[in-house]
Amino acid sequence: MRYSEEELQGWMTGGLDGHAADHAMLLRALVPLLGGFYRRHARGNDADIEDLVQETLIAVHTRRGTYDRGRPFTAWLFAIARYKMIDHFRRNRRLVPIEGMEEELICAGFGDASDARMDVAALLGTLPPKQAAAIRATRIEGLSVAEAAARSGIGESDVKVSVHRGIKTLFARIQGDR
Amino acid sequence: MMDTERLIAQLSSDVPPIRGYAVPRRIAAGLIGGAIVTLGLVIAWLGVRPDLGEAMQGGAFWMKSGYTLSLALLAILAVTRLGRPEATESPWLWLLVVPVLLLAACGVAELLRVPQTQWLAMWLGESWRVCPWRVLTLAAPIFVGLLWSFRRLAPTQLRLAGAAAGLASGSFAATLYCLHCPEVSAVFVLTWYSLGILLAALAGALLGPRLMRW
Repeated sequence: MRYSEEELQGWMTGGLDGHAADHAMLLRALVPLLGGFYRRHARGNDADIEDLVQETLIAVHTRRGTYDRGRPFTAWLFAIARYKMIDHFRRNRRLVPIEGMEEELICAGFGDASDARMDVAALLGTLPPKQAAAIRATRIEGLSVAEAAARSGIGESDVKVSVHRGIKTLFARIQGDR
Repeated sequence: MMDTERLIAQLSSDVPPIRGYAVPRRIAAGLIGGAIVTLGLVIAWLGVRPDLGEAMQGGAFWMKSGYTLSLALLAILAVTRLGRPEATESPWLWLLVVPVLLLAACGVAELLRVPQTQWLAMWLGESWRVCPWRVLTLAAPIFVGLLWSFRRLAPTQLRLAGAAAGLASGSFAATLYCLHCPEVSAVFVLTWYSLGILLAALAGALLGPRLMRW
């Protein structure tokens, strides 16, 4: 259930005039609104989100004098919500902000890269050992064909053919998987 | 952790009506409370200058208190704005350059009227060593009063709000210090008064994030 700016503002003003029922209506309406806001902007378990929602409800209650009747209510509310979120991150590291998550992204990139390495290792394992060794040497370790040939004690053309055949087999296998 | 519905019921059991202009009222209360203590300090610790009545006839007294009071009013407007959560900056603070430039113009005019040999004496006056520190000390009670005000406000830019509160405390304190200080030159006020006020603003910027959290 979404409430309009006018409804929220009406309850807020009612609360400022001392109507407890309006104030209660407002706070109840804010629970899903704030829950949604925090779930969009932070990752954390439900208990953390609920904690944050409750802290914000208390702040809305104790600082309600700073709301200026006639100004947009939601701007005021989300300014408080944002402040409470940042304050929460600072005090309690369990919740992680989604915005400005550079470190998190670097770690995620690392995860992708290591997943890819494992995939390659698994695929190469399915090839005959000579082809797998030739691909590993020339395409992953970056050796030249001559160096790879010298290392495994086979001819240069044998290395080239092994790489070519192995990659062709891998292509066929990956396309077959789709 | 308490469940949310019970929390709401508890919060809704205590809903006193809020009068209009709650933020300015709260700030005025803290400011006046602190200023009374500072005034007491000026009278009891430093003493009001004996020739105050005479001084109030002349221009120098009004130049000094006009400068500090205009800084104070701009700073308190900024404080009022920064006490609300949506405020991320305050345009009032930019207007601070106006009194500074006006006083600087007075200072230049003043220096041009006297021989260069007197410039240093005018700049240092009798009390340059103590003036900034006295302003800073006198600012403390007002700053404490404003911190009390902030306990019901919702600043979200704590460093800026702290700096504005420090600036307001410093400039109100400097205004009250005019009751004691016998200095008359604009360059003196521009340097040493401003330095004291700046120190108070700096202290506010350092303390704000620690003491204004909510």
